[in-house]
Amino acid sequence: MRSRLSVLAMLLVVAALVLSACAPAVAPAGAPAASDAGATVDTTAAESTGGEPIELRVAWWGSQNRHDRTIAVIQQFEELHPDVKITYEFSSWDDYWTLLTTEAAGGNLPDVMQQDYARLEEWVSRGLLSPMDEYAADGTLNLADVSESALSGGRLDGKLYGVNLGTNSMVVVIDADKLAEAGLEAPALDWTFADLEALATALHEKLGIWGFSGGLSNEQLWKNLFLSQGEWVYNEDGTALGYENDQSLIDYMTMVKRMQDAGVTMTREQEIAETGSSVEQNKIVTGEAAMTYIWSNQIVAVATAAGEGRNFILVPMPRPEGGASANYLKPSQFFSITSQAKHPKEAAMFIDFFTNSVDANKVLMAERGVPVSSVVRDALGPLLDVPQKQMFDYIGEVEPTVSKLPPPDVAGHANLITNVYWPVVWDPFLFGQQSAEEAASALREQGNAVLAESAQ
Amino acid sequence: METVSPTTPDRVSVHAPAKPLSQRNWMRTPLYHVLVAGFGFVMLYPILWLFASSFKGRDEIWTNISSLIPQNFTIENYVNGWRGFGGLTFTTFYANSFFYAGAATLLTVLASAVVAYGFARIRFAGRNILFACMLATLMLPVQVQIIPQYIVFSKLGWINTFLPLLLPRIGGQAFFIFMIMQFIRGIPKDLDEAAEMDGCGKGNIFFRIILPQITPALITAAIFSFYWTWEDFLTPLIYLNEPKLYTVSLALRAFSDPSGQTDWGAIFAMSSLSLVPVFVIFVAFQRYLVEGISTTGLKG
Amino acid sequence: MTEAVPTVVSQAVPAKGRGHKQKSKRRRNDNVMGYLFISPWLIAFLAFTLIPIIASFVLAFTNYDVLNPTWKWVGLQNFERMFTADPRYIKSVKATFYYVFAAIPLRLAFALAVAMLLNTPRRMVSSYRAAYYAPSIVGGSVAVAVMWRQIFGTDGLINAILGTNVAWLGNPNTAIWTLIILAVWQFGSPMLIFLAGLKQIPREFYEAAGIDGANGWQQFWHITLPLLTPIIFFNLVMQLISGFMVFTQAFIITGGAPLDTTLFYALYLYQRAFVSLQMGYASAMAWILLAIVAIMTALVFRSSSYWVFYGSQEE
Repeated sequence: MRSRLSVLAMLLVVAALVLSACAPAVAPAGAPAASDAGATVDTTAAESTGGEPIELRVAWWGSQNRHDRTIAVIQQFEELHPDVKITYEFSSWDDYWTLLTTEAAGGNLPDVMQQDYARLEEWVSRGLLSPMDEYAADGTLNLADVSESALSGGRLDGKLYGVNLGTNSMVVVIDADKLAEAGLEAPALDWTFADLEALATALHEKLGIWGFSGGLSNEQLWKNLFLSQGEWVYNEDGTALGYENDQSLIDYMTMVKRMQDAGVTMTREQEIAETGSSVEQNKIVTGEAAMTYIWSNQIVAVATAAGEGRNFILVPMPRPEGGASANYLKPSQFFSITSQAKHPKEAAMFIDFFTNSVDANKVLMAERGVPVSSVVRDALGPLLDVPQKQMFDYIGEVEPTVSKLPPPDVAGHANLITNVYWPVVWDPFLFGQQSAEEAASALREQGNAVLAESAQ
Repeated sequence: METVSPTTPDRVSVHAPAKPLSQRNWMRTPLYHVLVAGFGFVMLYPILWLFASSFKGRDEIWTNISSLIPQNFTIENYVNGWRGFGGLTFTTFYANSFFYAGAATLLTVLASAVVAYGFARIRFAGRNILFACMLATLMLPVQVQIIPQYIVFSKLGWINTFLPLLLPRIGGQAFFIFMIMQFIRGIPKDLDEAAEMDGCGKGNIFFRIILPQITPALITAAIFSFYWTWEDFLTPLIYLNEPKLYTVSLALRAFSDPSGQTDWGAIFAMSSLSLVPVFVIFVAFQRYLVEGISTTGLKG
Repeated sequence: MTEAVPTVVSQAVPAKGRGHKQKSKRRRNDNVMGYLFISPWLIAFLAFTLIPIIASFVLAFTNYDVLNPTWKWVGLQNFERMFTADPRYIKSVKATFYYVFAAIPLRLAFALAVAMLLNTPRRMVSSYRAAYYAPSIVGGSVAVAVMWRQIFGTDGLINAILGTNVAWLGNPNTAIWTLIILAVWQFGSPMLIFLAGLKQIPREFYEAAGIDGANGWQQFWHITLPLLTPIIFFNLVMQLISGFMVFTQAFIITGGAPLDTTLFYALYLYQRAFVSLQMGYASAMAWILLAIVAIMTALVFRSSSYWVFYGSQEE
């Protein structure tokens, strides 16, 4: 009998635990600021009052820093619009897409969702996003201060599906002190791949560190290569590769392999071992590499992680011999209105606030990239700290020379990258299982097959 | 392998430490302690590393990465981490996690014990097929079930409630049902039969004879269930969309962004802290596993 | 699968002298009581689990892609493609089998050995138990990935100890072993179940054996091991199933790289479902996995009548 009592006692302990935890869950007292923002029992509130507040749902991905800033802006918006209550969902990048994909399948998407340039076409082609032109026309969404080049990334078939939240461009970061130590000159702004290889090799030989950290096989550089040659990696309707001649890719691949074999950059093996490491662990931060490339909105993270007393030079991406700029201005992310939105007009108002309000952007502080509104940019100018100013200046510097923004990634892009680009093309090549020629033609054959299938 | 079946003792008293006698002597030797403690340190190293990192300052966290001793001890990471997101602190997330893990554990363990008894001791039509169905549910990857399940629960209007997380637990969980079944099968049957001869019903047998003897299994199930629920992030991610309903494991994941700035100190701090409840539950319950809760099963 | 379930209770021979009527009445009564006891599971199964399972089965024969509400029936095309036109699929099957057959035996052996070592109620030993269980509660959090890279990274602990400079996670020959080591390191849950099983063995057996002069090894071989077989069986089945489902560690640490050597089945399935958005194909993959695991499990169940000893079994 005693043992039965002790089982009972044990269960009671668990029950007590549950009940004690239950109290705050029912009436969340621990969140004073959020209790205004996070709508509680929405349905009853909406039914009982005459001027029922509209519930707007907003979703984004990011880190703690972004969540804090975005939530603060949501609260600002709610103060200005007492009739709108905003509920929000935030998560990490990986979780975000699992969640939003599931919500899309369940017909339960939020009104406003953060979108990514790589997925925009995929979501639009499935009819999950609504065009915003109507709200732009009636002034709900004011885009007067936004240049067409900053907007065009969100347009598909002439319709606006996403409003750019910040402009980004790729950048090569060079450790100025390492360069001086090796007695070398910073490259010209229109430097080529040959220059890159020469400089990285010289740095490696003089200093014994990696001349360039790695990541040269990334699909982003594959895109840059063809963009710079006036071509694009995909054809117009996304059913096949968009370039005819594999030679420039073969040359590029050969160069990357040569640099890896010489120890000038990390080998693919070493790169994989670093997969998923944070910006703070970038080899340029740790001083193990003299050069690296990042997106311009990561300048702040790299500079912060590197700490005081480090000097970096920012230059555009290198290009193939005789090519145009390999850089373009990319929307870092968008806000889009989903086709399942219950309140598209209020959604447009919210996006307008995010884009044009100086107060809101003083809170956001260009965390998502350089703001697209010229008025906002000017207002933030004096408030920037040193790394943020570097980011703004870099974008201003490359803007006149950049190549035209390529079209959004086609519907089969993610499929191609996960199932062909890495496992069939680059990895077997870099691990010495096939030649560059074989790799390039594998990309053509299998890539075309995947693209054709996904475009159906 | 031939097994020598020991004769079943007529009186069952199972709770004294079961240990071959000669083995105890070697457990008193210093060699035992040196070996076990030394290997224990190897086992613990990564966790010690995690805790050490959580007390390192921002500038030190990556530069002094391999050291187990912070140069400048700071609790700033804990302050920043606990602050949470936009006014929602970890107080809320812990309350949600305790509720979810506590309620789910209670439901799971109770229901699993009842169902396990049905499968292990009662012979009914269709038992084998149902048992196979139950095991098969463990063999279908959850990734393909998420979406259909989400559609069902969202049609029921259960998004942003704990119902999709807790209600499926009323049937117990296949892992625990099978585990408890195995423990029940280890119990000699003559006791139940004797009781049945005396006119005891199945319900009585379960409560009076079986339940007391499977406490080690129930404790084990409680420890696991609590931990697995505590670390589950997929179900909360899908069904608890409002941040005020987020659990600790979900909130932890919302700290990092691969392309932006991440406060790793806060992640290490909150990760360390999130292990504490699980560890406390383990330490509190495991004692009973080995030391025994009571002396005999039937004498009470 | 059904015949593989050991029918243990069947030997419960009713006392002689009972009539035929009584027997059938008892059987009917057992049916009622049986369903009553398993009703919580049955209700939850029918209400919450069955629909998604059926849905995933139907989707396996379609080209459903999650975001697109229109999909069409494609017959056996998904299955055909898996085995004839998808080299990554074959790689994922290979990687998973490699993992299961390396990690599971090691993990179980470790768990049993350590459980035996720690099965004593003394104070120090209780803290050892906590230490050995601790790795199992760090699970698959963000921090584990960082930690594991720190240990196995190029500048990591292992290289520092061995004086080598190997990219353990990037080398196609070693990457999967870092995940196997991680699995073995987290042996806490089978260990705990073994401890609970050891706890259930009546002490009288050892006392009687001690009187008969059996030494420690003989006691282990003739008492502990046979009486623990139901628990060993359980752990084996469960580790086998969860081994085939392995996902989180590869997802957060290696992502399938290098050269798809750690592309475990469930990881590839996730990529197909949520990255390439081919849910129909992923569902087909899921059902093949179910078939593979069911066959392996059935084999273990089949073998159990030769080596699993139940206390409730009369000779």
